[in-house]
Amino acid sequence: MGLKPATNPDVEAATIELSIDGRTVAAKDGVSLYDVIASTGKIIPAMCYHYTFDPFGSCGMCLVMQEGKKAPVRSCTAKAASGMVVRTEGDDLFAARKKAVEKHLSVHPLDCPVCDADGHCELQDMAFQHGVTNLANAKQKFIPEDTRSLVLDFNMNRCIACAECINVCKDVLMIDALQFMKKGGFNQVVPKGDQPLACEFCGDCLAVCPVGAITNKYSKYLYKPWQMKKTTTTCNYCGDGCQMYLETKDTEVVRVTSPLSWKNKWGDRAETSKGHGGICVRGRFGFQYIDSEQRLRQPLVRQNDSLTETPWLDTMQTVIDRLSDIHRKHGPESIAGLITARCTNEELYLFQKLMRAGFRTNQLDSSARYGHLNYVHAVRHAVGIGRPLNDWEDLTKAKAVLVIGSNITETNPLTSVRIKEAIRVYKAQVIVVDSANTNIAQLASHPLLVKPGTEGLLIDGLVKSVIEQDLIDEPSTGRHPQAFAALKQALDQVSLEQVSARTGIAVEQIREAAAIFAEAPRAIALCAEGIVRRPNGYHNVLKLIDLAWITGKLGQPGCGVTTVTEEINEQGAVDMGVAPEFLPGQARFDDPIARERFGKAWDVTLPAIGSGANLLEILARIRSGQIKALYVIGENPVATLPASLEAKGTLEKLQLLIVQDPFLTETAEMAHIVLPAATYAEKDGTFTNLEGKVLRVRQALDQVGESLPDWHIMTALANGLGYEWHYESAQDVQDEIMKLLPGYYNLGQPRRITPSADAYLSNGYTTEVATRYRIQPTESSSEAARPFTLVTGQLLYHSGKLSTRASGLINIEPNSARLRMNPADLQRLGLNEQTTIRMTSPHGSVQLGVRIDPDVLPGCCFYPEHFNEPPVKDLMTVEVDSVTGVPYFKSTGVKIEKVGG
Amino acid sequence: MSVGAWTKKLLQAALFYEIWDAMKVTFKHMFHRPITFQYPREQRTIPDGHRGALGLLRYEDGRERCVGCDLCEAACPSRCIKVISHEDPERPLQRYAAEFYIDITKCVFCGYCVEACPVNALAMTKMYEYSTHDKRTLLFDKKRLYEIGERHLEDAKKYLYAHNQEKNSDESREYRYYFPQSVLKPTQSQPKHLS
Repeated sequence: MGLKPATNPDVEAATIELSIDGRTVAAKDGVSLYDVIASTGKIIPAMCYHYTFDPFGSCGMCLVMQEGKKAPVRSCTAKAASGMVVRTEGDDLFAARKKAVEKHLSVHPLDCPVCDADGHCELQDMAFQHGVTNLANAKQKFIPEDTRSLVLDFNMNRCIACAECINVCKDVLMIDALQFMKKGGFNQVVPKGDQPLACEFCGDCLAVCPVGAITNKYSKYLYKPWQMKKTTTTCNYCGDGCQMYLETKDTEVVRVTSPLSWKNKWGDRAETSKGHGGICVRGRFGFQYIDSEQRLRQPLVRQNDSLTETPWLDTMQTVIDRLSDIHRKHGPESIAGLITARCTNEELYLFQKLMRAGFRTNQLDSSARYGHLNYVHAVRHAVGIGRPLNDWEDLTKAKAVLVIGSNITETNPLTSVRIKEAIRVYKAQVIVVDSANTNIAQLASHPLLVKPGTEGLLIDGLVKSVIEQDLIDEPSTGRHPQAFAALKQALDQVSLEQVSARTGIAVEQIREAAAIFAEAPRAIALCAEGIVRRPNGYHNVLKLIDLAWITGKLGQPGCGVTTVTEEINEQGAVDMGVAPEFLPGQARFDDPIARERFGKAWDVTLPAIGSGANLLEILARIRSGQIKALYVIGENPVATLPASLEAKGTLEKLQLLIVQDPFLTETAEMAHIVLPAATYAEKDGTFTNLEGKVLRVRQALDQVGESLPDWHIMTALANGLGYEWHYESAQDVQDEIMKLLPGYYNLGQPRRITPSADAYLSNGYTTEVATRYRIQPTESSSEAARPFTLVTGQLLYHSGKLSTRASGLINIEPNSARLRMNPADLQRLGLNEQTTIRMTSPHGSVQLGVRIDPDVLPGCCFYPEHFNEPPVKDLMTVEVDSVTGVPYFKSTGVKIEKVGG
Repeated sequence: MSVGAWTKKLLQAALFYEIWDAMKVTFKHMFHRPITFQYPREQRTIPDGHRGALGLLRYEDGRERCVGCDLCEAACPSRCIKVISHEDPERPLQRYAAEFYIDITKCVFCGYCVEACPVNALAMTKMYEYSTHDKRTLLFDKKRLYEIGERHLEDAKKYLYAHNQEKNSDESREYRYYFPQSVLKPTQSQPKHLS
């Protein structure tokens, strides 16, 4: 590593003093001179410098005079030393810098008028600042433009060889997809091996390029920076909640840019622990769905078996008449609602208020039910906090990270950059437990590739191993000797050899992983879809909490058990009480004090305790005929749930199905009434991300067609039904939430709470833990009949079903209808990429192609959950968690055979 | 009052001096050529630097000069220009203006757009007669602007020359920007002066 960062949580660098322009400045030893000068507020021009990576020193602009040296020195690559005397201004330095600009300009095509970076170009600014008007011996490179890559075009005529793109890719993102190559007499940036670019397509190279050498294919030539309106908003794909700029021209989204850019190159490396400002491929290139042709522009009402466009007033009248009719005839228990966690906090709050205070029913659920609620219930039960216990800074500065059941690079790319920074800058040891050789497993120091479905079992092994190796944190376990004895006794049933045989991980490796986790001063266990979306998710999170407890990682700063979420506002959905078991603020629904408080605030009697229903109970009650009307906002159960749950047949039983969505989804096609909703770019509000930060969403565009924000539609509906809501903007809803949940917004910063498991460990823990570590016997008979494990999951380039509407992402990753399999398996079965296979599970069979993916382990196969063509999801068996009601349908055993010759 | 002054006043009164004095201008104009000319039967000669309606120009080979750089829009003080640029569907990597509007009702004829244009695609002409019954036709679109440019090509060239913008043709060709070619499919030949 080079010159930065000067400090990390364990080592404090010594302080030195040096003189800059006659002022004595204190600095940390070992940092770049440029950083020291920048910290005094002086800006020296520099084109190849960015604080997120080590100085490269190619542009020759950051020249300063150092006493004792004859020629100017480059301040970025010079190390600040004690007693240095430095001058940063003067005519000689100006002339030297001007020369450097002229050197770059002499081989730069003066094509500013057609360049996308025109007006946002550092070389242009520098030429202007230094008054470069005449160039002797200018020449052009005439390098053909590289248009082979899917999202970026490389125009190397404009390149100034600052290497910012290469450095950010290699150092910050650890992808290393770009390199310098001497071609045609010039040093050019090319994708690795001079092939078409094949990387994560995060576009951070595009963001840091100070000139127009790297351009965005989707918005090339469509704009000039000054033509666009720039709105700071929050990305609505995954739970990372990245801040980004949505740049719009009239009614279209032209491009998305990130806070990371060459324009904000001055910073402290330590600040990157809160995020380096970049965004991922989904945020940067997946914006086309916002103004897509497929958007619903008019309300639709079913007439004679087809959906007909109807004006808003007529539609709302129909909705209100039919809903109040059902409400009057069959009572509040006949109405239920589902909402997506891609709605804002304000809308989620209004939704549950409409259900509880309006219809007086507690039959409501959100997409947090698909997994996040497992984590929330477990940590709430154990430590009393219903949100992830760690933020990005904790992850970055951790000494050991146990990533278990999470393909984090693909599901939450920016959280994975935090772990990458932990590996690279803070030298963390990362243990990855997964059934696929994921990107993070390839970067990790201790990848443990387990057999599919045994991630939870490996936690048993880790807990057992901690106790066996006596790595216990005495102060933590000493406070609850009874609980610890119960845990020890429960673990008697577990033997490391058995765990090793079932998971395929050697006993030694389990011991080593346990030792790393237990001995690190700051250790975090991060679990995600491989834990919370698989059978026993709730118990497996509790096992992780056991592990954290006995190693003393609960309640310690920078330690904990955390998770990542798939949809942006899953945490917000739980916080706003969109679940039958929670009221807003995660108050339990059966808590009499909270019931009285919210009942008084809404001026109603809340629905009776025990009358609530979660997603699967709602489906069951529709089947039994109790629920007659369903209000679905943004959810798509028909396309999400496997066929064995009969979502389609169930919804057909309804007397009234209202779907409110920006698109005509599979569920909307069945609906009686479809209301066009606006996307996040067309409304105001807030999202709560996986750190618990409340992030603002700002309106960038007018609503497309006659679509309206969800809060607006719900308010209109409530007023039509006679509930008298007086919200005129999302701000009004926010004011109400602020009154009811004081401190929830808290300027976007979650309040720090030290988790404590004392109450949980001293009450009922002994009985609870007794059954937790019971190893299920393997079903050898089914394993022989269905030797492959089919796993469905997320891809880096997609998020849910929403991103399949973004043409930019479909261009990168179209639905190939191919099952991903290990080459060894393909060879064994005599398959290649041209053959068609039949995949059979107890729920049916589908035919599809195959694709070689060496990262899938032998015995596994993977299919992206974003695509239902062919309907792979219908093969899944559904299991329901008895505690949290979370349906598990992401993996199953299948048989694979070749079709035809 | 002195005797001299009294005598002068009497004399002037006797000879109706004030009337002659007042009629002086009238009599002078009886022998003067009339300034008014019979517009529209007669047309005034307009200087080359005159700022009239704007037109878009093409190169000699018929290609559009405009590269859709939007600098005219940025320079326009009355915000009457709107450029929508795209990649040329027939010639990849080449930027052009897919749509170009000038709201001539807003235009203040300052000529900044012509000065801003890096490829001299915009020029002002001597055309000033575009009165209409329908105000909407005064939003000039790309087609109309090219029509004006074609019809008044000579005026436009004179305007650019008068404003010291167009250099002689050989020199200007060297300054012209050449779009890069694609790695995948070359769309143009190497510029002459380079090969």
